[in-house]
Amino acid sequence: MTKDVIVRFVGSAGDGLVSLGDLFGKILKKHNFNVLGFRSYQSVIRGGYNEYQIRASTDEVLSVGENADIVVLLNKHVAEIHKVRVNSGNKVIYDDDYIDLDELEYPENIIKLPIPLASITKDISKLKVLKNIVGFGAISYILGLDEELVKEVIFEQFGDKGEEIVSTNYEALEKGYAYANENDWPVKWEKHKYGKAQQMIISGNEALALGMLSAGLKFYSGYPMTPATSIVHYLTRYLPKLGMIVKQTEDEIAAVGMAIGAAYCGARAATGTSGGGFSLMTELIGMAGIEEIPLVVINSQRAGPSTGMATKTEQADLFQAYGASQGEFPKVILAPSSIAEAFNVGIEAIEIAEKYQIVVIVLLDLYLSEQIATVRKLDLERKNKRFGILENPDENYVRYRITESGVSDRTLPGTKNGMFFTGSSERNERGTSIASTLAGLPETLPIRREMVEKRMRKLDLILKEVEEPSIFGEEDSSITLVSWGSTKYIVREAINLLKGEGISAKQLHIKTINPFHTSQVRKILEDSKEILCIEQNYTGQMNDFIRMKTGFDIKHSFRRWDGEPIVPSQIIAKVKEVLNIE
Amino acid sequence: MSNEFNFSLKDYESNFKPTWCPGCGNFSQWRAIRQALVELELTPEEVVLVSGIGCSSHMPNFLKVYGLQTVHGRGIPVATGIRLANPDLTVLVYGGDGDIYGIGGNHFLHACRRNVDIITIVSNNFVYGLTTGQASATTPVGTITKTTPRGSIENPLNPITVAISAGATFVARGFSGDLQHLSYVIKEAIAHRGFAFVDVFSPCITFNKNQTFNYFREKVYKVEDTDHDKEDIYSALDLSNQRFIKDDLPIGIFYQIENKTTYEERDFTLNQGVIPAKAPLDLSKEQIDIITKEFY
Repeated sequence: MTKDVIVRFVGSAGDGLVSLGDLFGKILKKHNFNVLGFRSYQSVIRGGYNEYQIRASTDEVLSVGENADIVVLLNKHVAEIHKVRVNSGNKVIYDDDYIDLDELEYPENIIKLPIPLASITKDISKLKVLKNIVGFGAISYILGLDEELVKEVIFEQFGDKGEEIVSTNYEALEKGYAYANENDWPVKWEKHKYGKAQQMIISGNEALALGMLSAGLKFYSGYPMTPATSIVHYLTRYLPKLGMIVKQTEDEIAAVGMAIGAAYCGARAATGTSGGGFSLMTELIGMAGIEEIPLVVINSQRAGPSTGMATKTEQADLFQAYGASQGEFPKVILAPSSIAEAFNVGIEAIEIAEKYQIVVIVLLDLYLSEQIATVRKLDLERKNKRFGILENPDENYVRYRITESGVSDRTLPGTKNGMFFTGSSERNERGTSIASTLAGLPETLPIRREMVEKRMRKLDLILKEVEEPSIFGEEDSSITLVSWGSTKYIVREAINLLKGEGISAKQLHIKTINPFHTSQVRKILEDSKEILCIEQNYTGQMNDFIRMKTGFDIKHSFRRWDGEPIVPSQIIAKVKEVLNIE
Repeated sequence: MSNEFNFSLKDYESNFKPTWCPGCGNFSQWRAIRQALVELELTPEEVVLVSGIGCSSHMPNFLKVYGLQTVHGRGIPVATGIRLANPDLTVLVYGGDGDIYGIGGNHFLHACRRNVDIITIVSNNFVYGLTTGQASATTPVGTITKTTPRGSIENPLNPITVAISAGATFVARGFSGDLQHLSYVIKEAIAHRGFAFVDVFSPCITFNKNQTFNYFREKVYKVEDTDHDKEDIYSALDLSNQRFIKDDLPIGIFYQIENKTTYEERDFTLNQGVIPAKAPLDLSKEQIDIITKEFY
């Protein structure tokens, strides 16, 4: 039988919600559950209203879910706001020394589970944060978790802080458990044995970073911007053991500039930011394009425009990425859909960038960057190859030789007899600018044409190597749901639920945005019955993009632009509307 | 280097002849840079020259070293990335006052405080040349240009004062009309350990009728001929402000401190002797264990 539970912690910034959620995720992982967690928060350092929702299941977890089984209220302020979010049957855990749900007029159809967290904690230690562990004890009782496994996680977390910290944490856990037991709290699952967990629990940003490291990342630069910053945090933690440079810069222009400089020297390099920083980077992205310098740029999208909603998710930078920088040059755009795929895209992006001396843009979004989930152990062991680097150039070497593939061998600074000039202006094969004294001369016209064609040709080869759009579900389904990026598994969950209701839906999911698998996508769409394009934006950017590339006009769309991730029930409702099903 | 050094000025010259106006101040810098490289016995392959956009930024076209021209104002960050990825290289940034003090001003400030061992040379002609004569960050108040037909109303930037205040460890000025002194200053800048900055009075003979060769010839004097103590930051700041007090213009090394640690010496990866551009790509089992432990 499938076990599936959704736990929602509700607190303010400063309540330690992040560490609480992360730790609880680890506890559930330890019990061999599949876990997915996502935090909804605000751009404040103290106060405010934040939720950290965690879903655990013995099945695959596709989304963070909607209706929480267990709600934990961490203070009165958030309890008041949360009232409208509570559903019938919710088990609501709260500290009754501070919160009175009757006074807050909470509905009667919930299961109120008061527990004096603060006073229980006071008897153990002066450390106020321990009350969260008391809470874990009580939840462990409800979920029939194995106290020994919970203690293992606590030991892994606090073991290096000394025996006393560990033992007070154990005591807090036991007291919470005992309180729930003594007060006859409802039990969701009986206590039982859990299998040995083999999985990792990791965020989207961290998985992407691991992928890039596995592919030989040697230089990463960035300027702090939510939701990309945690990539820098993660990479910096393990310096200098990684033999690489991680550089915080004065702005995003410098971040991309430094990455380009490092890549020009042969270091595999990447930079990352969100929409605002990406806007600043675009001019130099074009320079890397014309100078054919391998470069990976990560744009973790958040709700825009401008500062928009810094802590909220959106998929509205598709055209910003596609059109990044003036003029025409080839770029690869990859939008990973899950944490496991973020890891693979990290490898793929770094490798394609070097192999084709091209700019690769990775389009994440806040929902994927910041979610944590269990994944099968990621395999970081790789035998990396180098591409297109000449160590002993002969006298015929020219940097920008016109080739069939469009890729020309390059020398790295320091290489004897390999000196060349490269610039942001158009050039001849030697690298010499044809933009100043030679511009417009009859002999330079074919050079300009050949150079543009040489660069653009790379995309033909890349198209054969990157992942095609994926299909999920039965071929003759009554509706095709089109998705891209982080919404993939939310749509997948909706399809599973629809199936349960006897409605057949299939999914066309796009990960590779450029180069685009035009004929494949057109074929799938032409063979579909009804089609619904699902996006986290207002204007329907993928809808427009598909029409632009294929000429096919998708009639129906579901879009969400309020900053919270799309949920399966919204998709289901829209599908029923399109199919005229009550 | 075990091989005997036998490179001459000609060996650093590309087959693309400079396109500057005949008589442009940039020509003497083109020669002074090569002269400094020869005297320091730096072979063409170990030198990278990075520039931005503007007349002076065409420089890497005309040199046979590793040359990279960026977009406007971005030479410094690209050069910083190059140097951090491969600290074996000698990395120079070359650009104009518009490029480095104007659009690239933010990078200039941070390069000064960061103290990465790169050399920034600014061909300062007090005007935008390539766009045919507009006011720049160093244009004096009252100057008539195409964008200031009633005279410039903004105060000019004093790059020497700014660089010293921002933490540069080598701050100097040269004059295109004195090739030997310019070459000496650039050579000292390259030899300096840490961020080195050279502002060069370099007349634009087409768009600037005020700051001409003759104007500078009458006013410049060499700080090396005085008893200036270049290690004393207060004297250096005084000297850098002299132009606003009297009409003499000092050239030479204003400020230099040798004992300040460079970014490379402080960086926890580089000070282990790692060259990121050449470091092994594959993670070892031990590295994998370390970086994934927190996910279990």
